[in-house]
Amino acid sequence: MSKKEKNANKGTVLQDDIKLDIPEDEIWTYQIEGLAAPHINKPYKYYNLKKAIFVIVIIIAVSLSIYFSILALQNETFEYEQVDGGYKFTKFSNTGYLYELDIDYVSDIEYIPGNNNPATNFKVVKDESKPITAVRQFTLNCDDKIKTITIGAHVENVDPKAFYSCWALQNIEVDENNPNYCDVDGVLYNKDKTEILCYPCDHDEYLRQKYGYEAELYTNDITPEYERDIQTYVVPSTVTKLGEMCFNYANLRAIYLPEGLKTVETLAVFKLHEKLDQWGTTPSLHNIFTYKAKDVADTHFTSEDALGEVYLSLPEGLEFIGSDAFSFNQNLQYVFIPENVKDIGHHAFWDTCYKEGGDLKGVTVMNVAVSEEKFEELTVGDNWLPQYDYLLFKKNIDVNYSAERSEK
Amino acid sequence: MSEKMDKVVDTVKNFATEIKTHWNTPAEGKYVPYKEYKDVVIGVGANYTGTKTLEYIGFFSSCFLIMHHYKLPYLTFSVIGLLNMPLGYITALIWWYVCDNLGFLPKKQERKVYFVYGLMMLFGISTILFDYSRLFDQSGAFITMLNSFEGMNATACFKTFGTHFLYSGWVGARNIFWRKKLLPKYGRYKYSLYCDVIPKCVMVFLIGWLPVYNIPDVATRVWVANLLFATYNVFGFGNVLEECTKRISPNLQERILVRSYPVKISHIFNSILAIILPAIVGMLRHEWADINFYRFVIPITFTISAAFTMFLAGRIKERIPQPPIEKKVQIKFWDGMLGVLKNKYLLINTIVGLIDALGNGMLPFATILYFYTFRLSGLPYSLIVALISFAGTPPDLLSPYFLKRFSYKQIMIFYQLSRAIGNAIIAVAMWTLGDNLALCGTICIIVLFFMEMTKTVPTTAGHDMGVRINDYQMYLSGERLESFGGIFGWFTGPITTFIGLIIPIFLLKYGFNSNWEILFFDGSRRNIVVIPIIVDTIGFFLMTIPYLFWDYDNKKQNLVMEVLKRRAEVTEKKAEEEGKSTAGSYKG
Repeated sequence: MSKKEKNANKGTVLQDDIKLDIPEDEIWTYQIEGLAAPHINKPYKYYNLKKAIFVIVIIIAVSLSIYFSILALQNETFEYEQVDGGYKFTKFSNTGYLYELDIDYVSDIEYIPGNNNPATNFKVVKDESKPITAVRQFTLNCDDKIKTITIGAHVENVDPKAFYSCWALQNIEVDENNPNYCDVDGVLYNKDKTEILCYPCDHDEYLRQKYGYEAELYTNDITPEYERDIQTYVVPSTVTKLGEMCFNYANLRAIYLPEGLKTVETLAVFKLHEKLDQWGTTPSLHNIFTYKAKDVADTHFTSEDALGEVYLSLPEGLEFIGSDAFSFNQNLQYVFIPENVKDIGHHAFWDTCYKEGGDLKGVTVMNVAVSEEKFEELTVGDNWLPQYDYLLFKKNIDVNYSAERSEK
Repeated sequence: MSEKMDKVVDTVKNFATEIKTHWNTPAEGKYVPYKEYKDVVIGVGANYTGTKTLEYIGFFSSCFLIMHHYKLPYLTFSVIGLLNMPLGYITALIWWYVCDNLGFLPKKQERKVYFVYGLMMLFGISTILFDYSRLFDQSGAFITMLNSFEGMNATACFKTFGTHFLYSGWVGARNIFWRKKLLPKYGRYKYSLYCDVIPKCVMVFLIGWLPVYNIPDVATRVWVANLLFATYNVFGFGNVLEECTKRISPNLQERILVRSYPVKISHIFNSILAIILPAIVGMLRHEWADINFYRFVIPITFTISAAFTMFLAGRIKERIPQPPIEKKVQIKFWDGMLGVLKNKYLLINTIVGLIDALGNGMLPFATILYFYTFRLSGLPYSLIVALISFAGTPPDLLSPYFLKRFSYKQIMIFYQLSRAIGNAIIAVAMWTLGDNLALCGTICIIVLFFMEMTKTVPTTAGHDMGVRINDYQMYLSGERLESFGGIFGWFTGPITTFIGLIIPIFLLKYGFNSNWEILFFDGSRRNIVVIPIIVDTIGFFLMTIPYLFWDYDNKKQNLVMEVLKRRAEVTEKKAEEEGKSTAGSYKG
């Protein structure tokens, strides 16, 4: 058998020599072997029944789909999982009118019959026999209503990403009997205050109320007092670690870090921003400072005198900088990598430099304490240096090795 | 040597003379003057570029405007789809009613249809003006259920539902009105440009400039954005001039010539723009997140494209003698329905589509790779996208060979397996080498290149098989029943809607919601990308199973064609015997 014949049998080649001898009266009924018989110009059997079945099947399919889809999409306000010693808070879906949230006991929403005001027609009912001991990551992901969260005494483990992108969150308060966590003026820390866990996204709103500012100021209207009271944060001297995503999206222009800080985790100081005007936002972080004083507990900045000696940029004791730790802070002016740093994550300073009108702005030079040879011994992630537009491509900024730390 | 040179010079001279002679009037036997070739290059190029520019605007989560500015919860798009689904069936029924009445409706029926569309619009407008959710018990199960949807509340649900009514009524009424007014003058493909282009330009500007994305309450932002984008979608700007070129000449060879050269050349404008636009974006301070991209770059690009399109639209002509679409004989609704359900091969394709729905709701992997893993922007982004797009071109040229050498079944099984293997490699690379951006990214790019390379032949085979399935339908039912093929969507729609929720619900669990920047976090990116890819990979493996039952080969196609030819012969003969017209008959 030739190759052509084989292919013809397999049906992979077109044959021109096929000729069917179909009688004239069979042209509408002639059935090709292996294919279904034509059904032309003749009534369907059980025509009405088939129509009815068709309609019923469609209605059932659509109804079932809507029913199951709604079941899948419908969220309980609070969802929990039972774990050893208590309950894990796994998911929160706002009713649209909940502004305060207690994470202490398993809770549920009870609606008040007859009350037709959606803002007040419910109450949160707690089951005090079921304490919450853990909070899962992304539990409140992207909630835009909750302003205050209170963490109860039994909570042992809060994933740092639990409150990711809670845009309206101003305060996290912790029960003082909680052995694992505490808060410092609305900012979440571990109990011994060695790690800062979450600076709420809208903490500046709380500070504005506290210090008597009526509204958020736009970039060009910001006064030195406003910057000092609202946009400056002093990390307590006990802190050795900035947790994952702890400051992300905060409205801060300056952060004072203690000299004992050793670790800046992934996305810890990511994309800090303030309002440019009614249309949009702009990067806010201008400077990072380090202070030497030992017993600083007050996070409100009053003056540098209270912080002992203060120098620009990252602390001398710093060892680890996580990936994207300082990304998207285009107004950051100066970075100095101290000599104790052993590890820099990928994109650690991504998009902290940009070109405007031909001039480089932001972090235009990376200052590194150690020499180039020593720096090569460090563990460094890809693209850790900021880049800027250069002839339609991107170019790394220059690195100034063996640099001296700049004076303030 | 000099003889050869002389020949070349002569050929060029002849070519130039040919062009010059027939610049304004076509050669004998031809219909398209060369001047119109030039118009096709620029007009189709501008139209195609405009449609491609509009791809940057859309009410879907991976649109940069939604991603960076509106920040709408991911699951909200599924909720909106679910709300709109039942109305989709009702509007389809109305449209069939219009089709059953041959498009151009008798006055009385036209008034009835306008009345229905008008009522839909009124209801839609009233839902936007009034909050119907207040008519229900706010503590009741219905309202609390609506309130529990991600990114929505009862008010937003009602307004979204009403917006779809407004949209459907508006589009339906406009279609009847403008078709009747413009179709006789501008032809069936171009007419929509004349009524849509100005409002479309206005909407493109409004999309960028209206600060809807600044509305602080997410549920309000959702329904207002849905309304804005629905209004934007009322006005079309399709690639209609290219459609015209498919009918530019009754001379088949001339038509192929136009499709092969001027139309292909016209796409170069878009290819250039696809490189320039991202390069411009790279120069903006916040790159893709910069709102100026939507305030200036997109509207200006689109307006220029639209202006060129309109300037040249009148010069590109449809020249095929054909009856109006509205005079096309319609088959009875139920006969059509039951007819297509008998087509086994349509059924196999439907099952494949159902399994494919496993990947619905997946984030665009390439976007994540370029923006969140590689952090590409500007020219490097343009070049890498262009490189991967180009991968499909060389195999496309070899399509005839592959289609001759392999059966459709073999090609499609290869296609599904190549997707499955490619996805599996990407998943392994992302899972195990996620921290090594250079290595992991390089592997992914190579695999994407390979997957693009192996996509074009199956795509061509799929188009070819679509035509053959219609031939088979003609054998089965005596008509091609192309429009009734959509009936399968009625059955699969509800199922795919449900299956399509699996991945978005999963993504929500791993932190993906309205803020795409979670993808900068390595741990989340790995889960958000890899696990849906694994689900998709399983889908691709499963999709090979229905094709095992595919037995429609060339032999059967030839036999079907023989039957169709024989039918044409016999019916034409009978018509001649009865002294009836044989117009439109084609015996092959």
